[in-house]
Amino acid sequence: MLTVPYITNYLTEHFADDAFGTIEGYERYGGYAGYRQALDTPAEDLIELVKASGLQGRGGAGFSTGMKWSFMPRETDQPKFLVCNADESEPGSFKDRILMERGPHQVIEGILIAALATGSDKTFLYVRGEYAHPADRMEQAVREARERGYLGPNALGKRRSHEIVVTRGAGAYICGEETGLLESLEGKKGQPRKKPPFPAQYGAFGMPTTVNNVETFSHVPHILKHGAEWFRGFGTEKSPGTTIFGVSGQVRRPGLYELPLGTRLDEIVFEHAGGPAEGRKVKGVIPGGMSMPVLPASLLDVPMANEFLRERKTMLGTGGIMVMDDTTCMVRASCVISYFFRDESCGQCTQCREGTGWMHKILERIERGAGEREDLDVLLDVAAKMEGQTICAFADAAAWPIQGMLRHFREEFEEHVRQQKCPFPASFEL
Amino acid sequence: MPRITVDGRIIEVPEGRTILQALDDVGLLMNGVDVPHYCWHPKLSIDGSCRLCQVEVEGMPKLQIACNTPVQDGMAVRTDTERVRKAREGVMELLLVNHPLDCPICDQAGECKLQDYAFEYGVLESRTREPRRALKKNVDLGPTIVFDQERCILCRRCVRFCDEVPRTGELRVFGRGDRSVIDVDPDRPLANDYSMNVADICPVGALTTKDFRFKIRVWFLRDVPGVCTGCAKGCNVYVGVANNKAYRYVPRRNDEVNATWLCDGGRLSYRRIGAERLREPLVRVDGGAAQPTPYAEALEAAAGRLRQLVDAGAGERLVVLASPHATNEDLLALRRFCDALGVTSAGAAVVRGESDDLLIQAEKAPNAEGARLLGFGEPGPVLERIRAGQAAGALILGHDVLHDSRLGGPEALASLDAVVVLDSHQSALQRVAHVTIPVRHAAEKQGTFTNHARRVQRVLPAVEPAWEAWSDGEVLAQLGAALGLAGFDASWDVVAASKALEQVQPAFSGVHLQSVGDEGLALDAEAIRGAAS
Amino acid sequence: MISDETRSRIDAEIGRYPTPRGALLPALHWVQEEHGHVSRESAAELAEIFGLRAAEIMEVVSFYNMFFDEPQPRHHVYVCTNLPCSLRGARTLLRQLEAHLGVHVGEATPDGRLALGHEECLGACAYAPMMRVDHRYHEDLDFEKAKRILDELD
Repeated sequence: MLTVPYITNYLTEHFADDAFGTIEGYERYGGYAGYRQALDTPAEDLIELVKASGLQGRGGAGFSTGMKWSFMPRETDQPKFLVCNADESEPGSFKDRILMERGPHQVIEGILIAALATGSDKTFLYVRGEYAHPADRMEQAVREARERGYLGPNALGKRRSHEIVVTRGAGAYICGEETGLLESLEGKKGQPRKKPPFPAQYGAFGMPTTVNNVETFSHVPHILKHGAEWFRGFGTEKSPGTTIFGVSGQVRRPGLYELPLGTRLDEIVFEHAGGPAEGRKVKGVIPGGMSMPVLPASLLDVPMANEFLRERKTMLGTGGIMVMDDTTCMVRASCVISYFFRDESCGQCTQCREGTGWMHKILERIERGAGEREDLDVLLDVAAKMEGQTICAFADAAAWPIQGMLRHFREEFEEHVRQQKCPFPASFEL
Repeated sequence: MPRITVDGRIIEVPEGRTILQALDDVGLLMNGVDVPHYCWHPKLSIDGSCRLCQVEVEGMPKLQIACNTPVQDGMAVRTDTERVRKAREGVMELLLVNHPLDCPICDQAGECKLQDYAFEYGVLESRTREPRRALKKNVDLGPTIVFDQERCILCRRCVRFCDEVPRTGELRVFGRGDRSVIDVDPDRPLANDYSMNVADICPVGALTTKDFRFKIRVWFLRDVPGVCTGCAKGCNVYVGVANNKAYRYVPRRNDEVNATWLCDGGRLSYRRIGAERLREPLVRVDGGAAQPTPYAEALEAAAGRLRQLVDAGAGERLVVLASPHATNEDLLALRRFCDALGVTSAGAAVVRGESDDLLIQAEKAPNAEGARLLGFGEPGPVLERIRAGQAAGALILGHDVLHDSRLGGPEALASLDAVVVLDSHQSALQRVAHVTIPVRHAAEKQGTFTNHARRVQRVLPAVEPAWEAWSDGEVLAQLGAALGLAGFDASWDVVAASKALEQVQPAFSGVHLQSVGDEGLALDAEAIRGAAS
Repeated sequence: MISDETRSRIDAEIGRYPTPRGALLPALHWVQEEHGHVSRESAAELAEIFGLRAAEIMEVVSFYNMFFDEPQPRHHVYVCTNLPCSLRGARTLLRQLEAHLGVHVGEATPDGRLALGHEECLGACAYAPMMRVDHRYHEDLDFEKAKRILDELD
């Protein structure tokens, strides 16, 4: 079981109380009040409210949630589906896990409100296969919600029924990509689909579908209860609300921290998470899950929100903050990173399939002490040829971290080549 | 119809198509507008994974894959910019990182899209120092295809083909990432009637046919446009010829007939061109065995037999069986021959077999419909007369009649006074025929066939027989002249004969050897007169 | 042979999706719970249930880390070796466990008790090093703690 976040806010403030995870406890804390309000609100108004709040997806892409909901067709005789993306597999991210384990009803309430807003009949809650316990918790909460009448034939009042089907993946990071998830949900290999068509037109089982992340759904009941203005009171103008940052790596207090977007990265790393171990210095921090380019120690004074992070050529992603101290060899870290992307590529697109493999082989060779001068330019060139040219953003996610490493730590790579060995004997073992 | 601009040139394209489809529809793809591609195929579903067909579309920040971008009126596409060039280079270089350098031993060399596009759009030097992926080579996928997993670029055309065309789905992609491999279920090898098409559509030498393996380098082959003669579909082919020998058939695209496909049986029927051929005329004297005989003598012997019959007043007891393998022009000559002799009993025996809802037709000859349109139809009455002893002589083209149970075997002809056979291949008819004269195969002459859908298509000479052989029409011209029949002067002009088809069958008006082109022409069903059934 | 009980679970699950194939991943999990892996026989049976071909079933099996097409030992032990865990000594722990068990990563103990492997991020980054043993997570590990947990596996 996870410990609770070190710093809480409206999402996680009651997580220390086990009762919050039960339906009775959740209702005692005011749960499902937002949903009851939504029952009396026209669907278009619900969408406008969420748009006005400025809520952005918390799964890594940061797309406007209200706008995404508005893409669903209004009038159609096809069934419409929601998908809750609980495939959390981005290295460094473990926030959705705690949201499911300790706040399952908060997720369900968000789903129900979204169902009202989009006119959806059913939600598929797709949990990564390795999250056995969070999936069990969600199934338990769904049972409780059904018994209470929040799910089932008259779930959404006069409007329509709603059901949540909890289903599990089987170990493949790419099933966290929207359309990769849809393929896996349909019982196939999780290979992302080419777009167009987009999920709102052709989604789960060919029906109009909206896919949202666990945390995204979790914010929604609070927006209903307190309003868009209230929500905008947290975070920045362009990135309102809180998020749950997950801090890990070479830091004193790794853990979860629910903080407003826009909180400075150095504040999170040094103040909240206690900074590096005794006698060590921070060398670099990956701010948003392993797909995001690293920031060197000199660039950590950045508010954690996309509009600022983009200026430093990185992004918020899933808010998975990974701290590396000065014992860490960045080439070694790059080997770990590139191995992951090579392993998880679905294999469809030429550049991704071949590029992830090639980059990993080159990086391992450099770390082994057999690197050549030209390798660094080849790495950058391959990364450039992978970016923005594939069916999904996985190839970008594979390219960016290596670009980031070479942007800020090129001299470490050059040292490996010059010395024909790794000059960081104290680094973590590979 | 939407109008788009491609590299500054305005084109009008059909509605509802993607950029690649539209370019293909108007005949410009790789023929005026270069958009190299691997995974896309005009007759298969859109895949979108090879990424080679990326183009610039004005107003869209990222490059778009032409295969999946719907055309919109006013769209401006560029295929010739620096960004597109770099993107193609990127795809080509990455494909070559793991691809084995097998060209010296690979059948695909010379018709390999990896070679072609690497040369045209790729980088000339490889930068990889890494060991290449080692997988299974020379995999026996099934009775017809050899598979090399290392060469595979995972375009998945073969997988989609098996799923979508024969719908047998033998091929699947196993694994993930750069460990993906295509393979079959060991209990279900690649074995459908269209299996060899995967070798055509495979852009590289990963899938090759066992039939063609290591036989000849493709740059030695001359591709002669032709038509398969295996059944009444008349799938369009290229006959691959070198040293006056046919090495293979490959499908030739015709969207009105066979799209881009060919059945395995038809594809392998090229072997018939050189197999079991009749290479010299045969004459049986006094009921003895058939003896090889010089052509002029054999022709005289045939004429002699028939003349005896006519002089004895038994002309109306001559029956005629046309061959559904003969061309329309050959059959016109036969029609004229029958009319000049007053033959009333004529038909065409056609071997029938399995058919499917794709290409394979039940009638196993290219010109059964042509025969019917020229008055050679249901052979039942002819075979009745033979069985009933009412025929004194028989002029038989081809030997399909042997498969008709109503004949009751070649012995049924033994009692006739004159059996003259014109055939390209050996058969049991030679034993009972008084005279057997070898004729040319479709790949050895000019002519037209009428397929099951009444489309008239031409064949051109691809190879020349190594022995003396004439087309059926030429033999009949000489036979007619020898018999002194009106209108026969021993000369044979196949083009003139083709233009004269309309005199016998009005539907052929305007449709002849010089008008059908490489794609063929459909007959107007309304104009058909007096066809046999 | 897929048991009747699993077959009924599969039938019930099929009803929850617009197309039957939506129940395939759940079905594969259950078949694996029963037999430890998805055999060719199971694939043939599943193919019949879902109206697919056996090769299509095995194709899906081959894509996912958690499905196996060969018989497996009783327990799977996966130490996460992704970046946050590696930064905190996960790979050192893995080496130590290899030595303790006398197997290399990817191998099973000769008595068929367990297989030792490594996995990508399991969502426990703040509690590194950690491992997944079958369906359970064990977090905040050191060698002694990990050793104890593994030695207690039957």
